[in-house]
Amino acid sequence: MAEPIANSDGKRKCDSVADAINRLLHNLIIKCARGEGVRNFYEVCVIGYGAQVAPGFSGKLAGRDLVPLSEIANSPARVEERTKQIDDGAGGTITQKVKFPIWFEPLAKGTTPMGQALSMSQHLLSSWVATHPNSYPPIVINITDGEATDSGPGPQSEELRGLATNDGNVLLFNCHISSQSLSPIVFPDHDGELPDSFSRTLYEASSTLPDSLRELARAENFQLGNGAKGFAFNADLVELIRFLDIGTRASNLR
Amino acid sequence: MEPSTRIFWLPKNGNTAEEYEDAFAHSQCNFSIADGATESSFAERWAQELVKKYVAAPPAGATPSSVQLENWLSPLQKEWHAGIAWDRLPWYAEEKARTGAFAAFLGLQFFESAACPEKRSLFSFWKKPATRKESKWLALAVGDSNLFHLRQSTLLRAFPIERAEQFDTRPLLLSSNPKKNNPVWQRIQMTEGTCQPGDVFLLMTDALANWFLKKTELNANPLPTILNITNEAEFSQFIEEQRLSTALKNDDVTLMVLVWKDSNK
Repeated sequence: MAEPIANSDGKRKCDSVADAINRLLHNLIIKCARGEGVRNFYEVCVIGYGAQVAPGFSGKLAGRDLVPLSEIANSPARVEERTKQIDDGAGGTITQKVKFPIWFEPLAKGTTPMGQALSMSQHLLSSWVATHPNSYPPIVINITDGEATDSGPGPQSEELRGLATNDGNVLLFNCHISSQSLSPIVFPDHDGELPDSFSRTLYEASSTLPDSLRELARAENFQLGNGAKGFAFNADLVELIRFLDIGTRASNLR
Repeated sequence: MEPSTRIFWLPKNGNTAEEYEDAFAHSQCNFSIADGATESSFAERWAQELVKKYVAAPPAGATPSSVQLENWLSPLQKEWHAGIAWDRLPWYAEEKARTGAFAAFLGLQFFESAACPEKRSLFSFWKKPATRKESKWLALAVGDSNLFHLRQSTLLRAFPIERAEQFDTRPLLLSSNPKKNNPVWQRIQMTEGTCQPGDVFLLMTDALANWFLKKTELNANPLPTILNITNEAEFSQFIEEQRLSTALKNDDVTLMVLVWKDSNK
């Protein structure tokens, strides 16, 4: 896990995975921010898998599994200041300092117990769906930079996708961050362009996007076929959740 | 002619009245509704400011240019921005508010009727003056709040959305952030018409407008149902029934009913 990810200036893959998770949480919080607070449209659990399989929040939330989003918003382990290039509105760009909250630290490790991690999600979510039968089904986003070193993800993902609320089955999205310098592939509906058998295994383990999500993704200009799956290869994960539906959103918001 | 106006509203099921993000306002001749976008901050205040301003002082001219509209919006945008205690906001609230608030907007004004005499001089450009029993109207819309003009139970105009299939969850909306309105100026919709005694105008935010168009398209005339609603309890019951049957999307709902009566009768 110490090898660099493709196209990322010598950054380690584990840093990219951690960044992706922190940005995912950041975006989800901004999406649900209203006025002075954050609405608890979601509860989120981060599971880290490596030397051990355990809840992955750092800082105040360490050891917690499902945490309401407003609590996550108010409890980052630390806040970094990063610089970002933004449009200056006059055809150029300017550098702006932005706050980058950190909830999850990189995990460098030797093994990839993906099956165990998926089983842990299944365990958590089986009680969640029982207590929230009318909610939108949970979404599990599995981000990995390598092949499972246990029996995962096949059997465990099947069991996970079998859980359901009255509104549908649990959705499993897989995101493969590879060190191969290949173009991103997002929501494919066939595995022909995937580079190796591990990508194909992950593709196979991913949920087919339900009609509603597929339409929302199309509204956000993703090109996808009717059988598109929740799978991304070398792609920006934040893009994946851009379209999660929580109500009316202006098309000129972005 | 003079209008009789009834207004009904309800928050999304599961939300409190404080979480209702639509807005409405009217005077004798100006009517407006707006729908603050769920996915933006302080949208209810933005929606409120828009409808109040429109009713008090609509944009100048029958078909205002984008510059006129920008000038009309500018003080509202400043007011919205000034109403936020930026230094007290946590990181996420500040980041969210910086993108601005968004709202669908619909404004309707009437001229040349005895009820709206102050408008006559401003709008003398109309070639054919309205007859004593007729008045003119103008509407302006951004997004998916809709107007329906009916005469003797016939739908004369659905504006700006004409068919139910045109509703989606990503409409172009009016923003409190001037930069976000650049794509809007090309897409502002305006229309006009004449109004006769007995005409009915319905202003609806998207969920109910979608319901109304679907029923109309199925030839299941929805007008009697709407006109039979005379109080809040009846409105709540009607909305709950439609939500339960999934005919109506669970969203904030606003309905403004205007019936023009002949005051000389």
